[in-house]
Amino acid sequence: MPDRFVSRGFTGRRQQPDQAARLPPGQYLTTDFPVLSAGPTPRLPLDRWSFTLEGLVKDKVTWTWEEFLKLPSRTFEVDISCVTKWTKLDMQWEGVSVDTLLEHVELERNAQYVTAFSHEDYTTNLPLVDILNGQAFVAYKYDGKPLTPEHGGPARLVVPHLYFWKSAKWVAGLRFTEKDRPGFWESAGYHNHGDPWKEERYG
Amino acid sequence: MKASIEWQIATVKAVHPETHSVKTLTLKLPNWQRHRPGQHYDIRLTAEDGYQAQRSYSIASEPEREGEIDLTVERIESGEVSPYLHDVLIPGDRIEVRGPIGGYFVWEGSRPEPLLLIAGGSGVVPLMSMLRHRSVAGGKIQTRLLYSSRTFDDIIYFAELERLQGVKNGPKVYHTLTRTQPEGWKGYARRIDRQMLGEVAKPLGGSVQVFICGPTLLVESTADELVGLGIPAAQIRTERFGPSGPA
Amino acid sequence: MLSDTPLDVSSELMLDANAVAGLLQEVFGVEMTVVPAECAGCGNRAEIGTLLAFTRGPGIVLRCAACMQVVLRIVQTPDSVYIDARGAVYLRLRR
Repeated sequence: MPDRFVSRGFTGRRQQPDQAARLPPGQYLTTDFPVLSAGPTPRLPLDRWSFTLEGLVKDKVTWTWEEFLKLPSRTFEVDISCVTKWTKLDMQWEGVSVDTLLEHVELERNAQYVTAFSHEDYTTNLPLVDILNGQAFVAYKYDGKPLTPEHGGPARLVVPHLYFWKSAKWVAGLRFTEKDRPGFWESAGYHNHGDPWKEERYG
Repeated sequence: MKASIEWQIATVKAVHPETHSVKTLTLKLPNWQRHRPGQHYDIRLTAEDGYQAQRSYSIASEPEREGEIDLTVERIESGEVSPYLHDVLIPGDRIEVRGPIGGYFVWEGSRPEPLLLIAGGSGVVPLMSMLRHRSVAGGKIQTRLLYSSRTFDDIIYFAELERLQGVKNGPKVYHTLTRTQPEGWKGYARRIDRQMLGEVAKPLGGSVQVFICGPTLLVESTADELVGLGIPAAQIRTERFGPSGPA
Repeated sequence: MLSDTPLDVSSELMLDANAVAGLLQEVFGVEMTVVPAECAGCGNRAEIGTLLAFTRGPGIVLRCAACMQVVLRIVQTPDSVYIDARGAVYLRLRR
């Protein structure tokens, strides 16, 4: 097997991690916060923003921005891994835990999956169990400041234990379903589950 | 058109500074293929551990120059590839490239319509390939270049553009400097706007073919203004470089 | 190319399909940016080179310049390239 060509003196913009144990396989540590997008950034006026829990729930519930801000919130410090290979450690977010949101609905017994949908044409799918028990939150602040549109503001879903494409930007709600419905990237070659520790990148 | 564009290993023949942040690399290609002005090459860098980064760079040189190409590269501080090309690469080094690529943003002078080229910053590079080709091929088609730069020192190919202008049937070159201008500056001194475009484009008539290349915002607003001036969108071809040129 | 999307920082990341011309040629075997495509969303017919490209993400998304709907989605995995062309009524490749 011929040796692969190597560019003399090229290392890329990566950091040598002294926290190697915290990096999932195949990931590189980043200190900035890359902006990745599948489309143009929406500009959502707050008076038209809403967040809805719908689908297999007894009664659908929707919050306006003012109502959402009144929900109990807390800060979350988590590591985030993007399938494009960057990992960022100790990211500070503030928002509402999905557990708190679920206190306001009664899920049907056959609700097994969730589709997170955004105010744009983006969706991503998760098993219900992956968003319970402190594993997911809806964030509206990053690093102490309101979440910028480029990073998903006014609010985005954050599911730190899965690849970051599951953390839907500009999130508009969660739809509970019986069957799994592959979302935007899952239906185009990406792994349905997306666990970075098992390197579940591709389908 | 079917063309093989496999990766090949080129050798750096020369490195030549154009401005404080822009350099031209001359690459000798073992599998050189005559390109069309406006096309680009992809460059791929590979680290020892297999990590790769890849970017596209427009060809600056004319297709008539056989066996080698010029790529003019702006150094983007936060970029991953351009700092390597500027800070590390020296003549004699080898580099993986693939091309020539592109069929949409090309001009070869086979049509008789007048030509309007509009550049923002390093967006002038593919347009330079067109102008150099035109010059070597002895083109007579009425041609104008409107070139926006921040300051005089940021203008790439200034001397060569002056020379091309001075030749019979040469292109007319209009510069605009958006940030600061030197004393005695006689060119435009603001961002490209509808009035400027009207002055530069109108004399070329309604059948003018337009090529715009540069930062996305400049490309978008310029294209919009030209349509507002009555130039059909089908006659306008664009190449967006992203926020500030390819990284 | 002349869409109504308000321009902002993230729109600056928007390129045209020229930016992925190399990948398209590698995948399809022919130069693709001059291939006409009809948008399944709004019927706009234009060359692939005019599609707006979002290249910084898990995959490459090419959107119709007239209506912003996804026309082509391309995902590269270690052993394959996925092409989702549901957003295109057709791509017309000349012999």
